Amino acid sequence: MMTTIWPWWTGSVGLSLVTIGFWLMFNRPLGVSGSWARVVMWRNDKVLGEAEAPFRNNPELLKDALMEATVAHFGEQVVQDALASRRSSAGSARPMPALKELAKLPLRIPWTAHFTFLAMIGVGGLLTALVMGGVHPQVTLGTLHTQLFGTGMSNWIALFAGGGLVGFGTQLAGGCTSGHGLSGCSRLVPASLMAMGIAFGTAIVASLLMNLLGGLPL
Amino acid sequence: MKSATLKHHLGFGLFGLLMGVTLTATGFTDFTKVHEMFTFQSFTLLLVFAGALVLNGVGFAVLTRNKKVAKKKFNKGTIPGSIVFGVGWAITGACPAVALAQLGQGQLAALATLSGILFGVWAYRRMAAGGVQLDTGVCGEEG
Repeated sequence: MMTTIWPWWTGSVGLSLVTIGFWLMFNRPLGVSGSWARVVMWRNDKVLGEAEAPFRNNPELLKDALMEATVAHFGEQVVQDALASRRSSAGSARPMPALKELAKLPLRIPWTAHFTFLAMIGVGGLLTALVMGGVHPQVTLGTLHTQLFGTGMSNWIALFAGGGLVGFGTQLAGGCTSGHGLSGCSRLVPASLMAMGIAFGTAIVASLLMNLLGGLPL
Repeated sequence: MKSATLKHHLGFGLFGLLMGVTLTATGFTDFTKVHEMFTFQSFTLLLVFAGALVLNGVGFAVLTRNKKVAKKKFNKGTIPGSIVFGVGWAITGACPAVALAQLGQGQLAALATLSGILFGVWAYRRMAAGGVQLDTGVCGEEG
């Protein structure tokens, strides 16, 4: 285990730099569980890419497809009326956006970049350990965790099950400690405040229960 | 490699690295410390997180003034998902980022947590693709 721990405010600055820096560079909120989803579902990139390709190459095709979908959704009459009114007020009507602009679908960030992100979090852990006293591999999460969940098989099962809950729960909740927490709560987004409050509250109750069942003082 | 892609790899890599370093150096990868936070025996990690929220709050307020920024929406999955996540967080001491840093740091037990996360994410996506519509999306996945 580490001997020296940085003062708390350096951690605040570090996490904030990550959140704000990411937002500045990519104009989107940071989200680790989103990256997990992209990496786990990496095959989707290929499927979506193939589905988009014809439209990226051919704006006319995109126009036809959009018109077809519009007619299917609103009915032909509404579309005809809209086109007619646009023609009759040709002078004042805003021009249609250029097809070339319309066809510039935003490029998706490749799943491999999300993989790089996740992998580098691990590398960050490794480098820190090396700087702060070396890497000392260990198969448990420390004395306290061993007291609560034992060693050997029970330890592995508890962690796999717990990890499953983390993975499933963050996907269902639409975000985790970074997306809902660092990015959402700091902007006072109601859904994020609720998600983090509930996750934190549940973790408190579960931790106290673990102490109770493990015979540790509350 | 296209320059846009290279920028993504460099940027995502840099911020991932900084995140891994910070989480490890402040003790977020230490199960004991996380457990002590949840049982009110230590407030250090809470301070780290609260401090980051304050700094982010100021940062976002400055950067997004006069701008409309998409906000996560409340949906049917928000409450049950957060409860499930909370239980897993208490058992493993890990959120989806921390488990990766734990492994990098040499805590081999995180392999079990990471396998679990992988399975949990996969199971949810499988279920969602199968027609059980519970959410409207995870952060970042639209990108």
